[in-house]
Amino acid sequence: MIEARNLAYYYPGEEETSLPALSGINLAVRRGEYLALLGPNGSGKTTLLKLFNALLTPSEGEVWVKGISTVDEDKITEVRRYCGMIFQNPDNQLVATTVEEDIAFGLENLALPSAEIKEKVIDVASLLGLDHLLQQPPHLLSGGEKQRVAIAGVLAMQPHCILMDEPTAMLDPAGRRDVIETVGRLNREQDLAVIHVTHFPEEAVFADRVIILNQGSLVTQGPPEIVFNDLKLLHSLGLQGPAAVELAALLRKDGFDLPSQLIHCRELVNSLCSLERKS
Amino acid sequence: MFIGTEKLTHTYMPGTPFANEALKEVTFDVKQGEFVLVIGPSGSGKSTLIQHLNGILKPSSGKVYFDGNAIGSDKGELFKLRRRVGLVFQMPEEHFFSETVYDEVAFAPRNLGFDESEVQIRVTSALEEVGLNAETLAERHPFQISAGQKRLVALASVLSLNPEVLILDEPTAGLDSSGRRNLFSLLTRLNRSKGLTVLICTHHLDEVAALADSVLVLHHGRLIFNGLAGEIFSRREQLYELGLGLPAVTEILFGLSEKGMKVRTDIYTLEGARLEINKVKRRHEK
Repeated sequence: MIEARNLAYYYPGEEETSLPALSGINLAVRRGEYLALLGPNGSGKTTLLKLFNALLTPSEGEVWVKGISTVDEDKITEVRRYCGMIFQNPDNQLVATTVEEDIAFGLENLALPSAEIKEKVIDVASLLGLDHLLQQPPHLLSGGEKQRVAIAGVLAMQPHCILMDEPTAMLDPAGRRDVIETVGRLNREQDLAVIHVTHFPEEAVFADRVIILNQGSLVTQGPPEIVFNDLKLLHSLGLQGPAAVELAALLRKDGFDLPSQLIHCRELVNSLCSLERKS
Repeated sequence: MFIGTEKLTHTYMPGTPFANEALKEVTFDVKQGEFVLVIGPSGSGKSTLIQHLNGILKPSSGKVYFDGNAIGSDKGELFKLRRRVGLVFQMPEEHFFSETVYDEVAFAPRNLGFDESEVQIRVTSALEEVGLNAETLAERHPFQISAGQKRLVALASVLSLNPEVLILDEPTAGLDSSGRRNLFSLLTRLNRSKGLTVLICTHHLDEVAALADSVLVLHHGRLIFNGLAGEIFSRREQLYELGLGLPAVTEILFGLSEKGMKVRTDIYTLEGARLEINKVKRRHEK
């Protein structure tokens, strides 16, 4: 559905001087896939997201979204409808004076009849549990609610993919849980592909596939239980594994016989308890 | 009392239909050289609280103390206060306005009227203090450096005032894990070796809990907990009710405890959990 072929990107003015922001990226995202994108600051994660919805266009190679090349300027709005973007700071992406108007913003730009807009807004609002907030001004909502409004605005456009750039960085723990649960549910129930950039491995353990970028290149990819158990690689990039993986690695050094692919806290708890019983 | 408040109440837009009591009779006291965390859900009053500590906001009622004295509203006094109590805002790099890293860090000392040779000494030592190479970075544009470096430049621009208290609002938002570790080890060093008093507002408890002398928890503008980090993490139910959460390591220990393993649940570091699980295992084998 989204495909990057031999993709490279140089920021303007840096074509000759420094390293490219991205290079040699080949990647295909399937319909309904949940992809987590991790890597140090400056590794190219945000650049890649922006290339996926044509906020940037490739310096080399191509990006195809549902059969449209992102350099095709006539179809740029279509690309952006298919791939909606959620940014880090919810305060920077809410524009209207009420939640209802904010969700409707994109639809209004499509010049749909107002009855149809209203219907769609109510639909997505109920899907995201925002019904009771429709008449509220966005600045009075909590961080998690604001991010859900931003997601609703994107969802109203009926995208096939939602791109999220550290959507929880500014949120408190309840807000983080709220956004992560919401997106996971949309992914499962609406067959929506998700590309989720994050610095927190804990947020990525439920993804279908984890991709690690470093200095503009794709370093490794695979299911989370494989990628996150390669602690040697993660640590060499300055990254960390989920707490369960890190703790399990330490305990294995102490002689605990733990399964090699665990990533969830409850897996570690269960393994430790069954060891207890055996010994 | 080094820095703290007494029955501090703050109302935004008082006397209007939008009046909002953001802080309600908050009283606390931080000793010189302490490392303190301020936690609480969004909207609980954390940012409002810390903005009182260097006089940006004024109490609606109650008092704010620094170094034994109540903070007044005299302009000259506030000016002095802000040199001694440095505040680093959320996403501070969004407020950069200078053409070079040097000018960005030099802004505050220049503002205080130091001559250019003193400014240079302060800028160089502040950049060194945060681990940035003044020679290679000084003339670069602050937008052309990495996210981690930007955050450090923002910190240096406050350290150039040689403050005694350093207050940071969500200092690690948007940083990668090595950037976060680097920043925290820097803050620990400033706290331990230079005796700087540090207050941090954060949502990422797991990473800082081990560094903290004490934790303040705010909820709906009230201070509902003031105590040791281990103590707060053993109150799991209450934390979830408040929309907060536990460090993943503590969550694992709670899981083990629920399944009948006799482990302590007030632990929040990987090494701590490793030792505890080994200890319980050995006890079991005996």
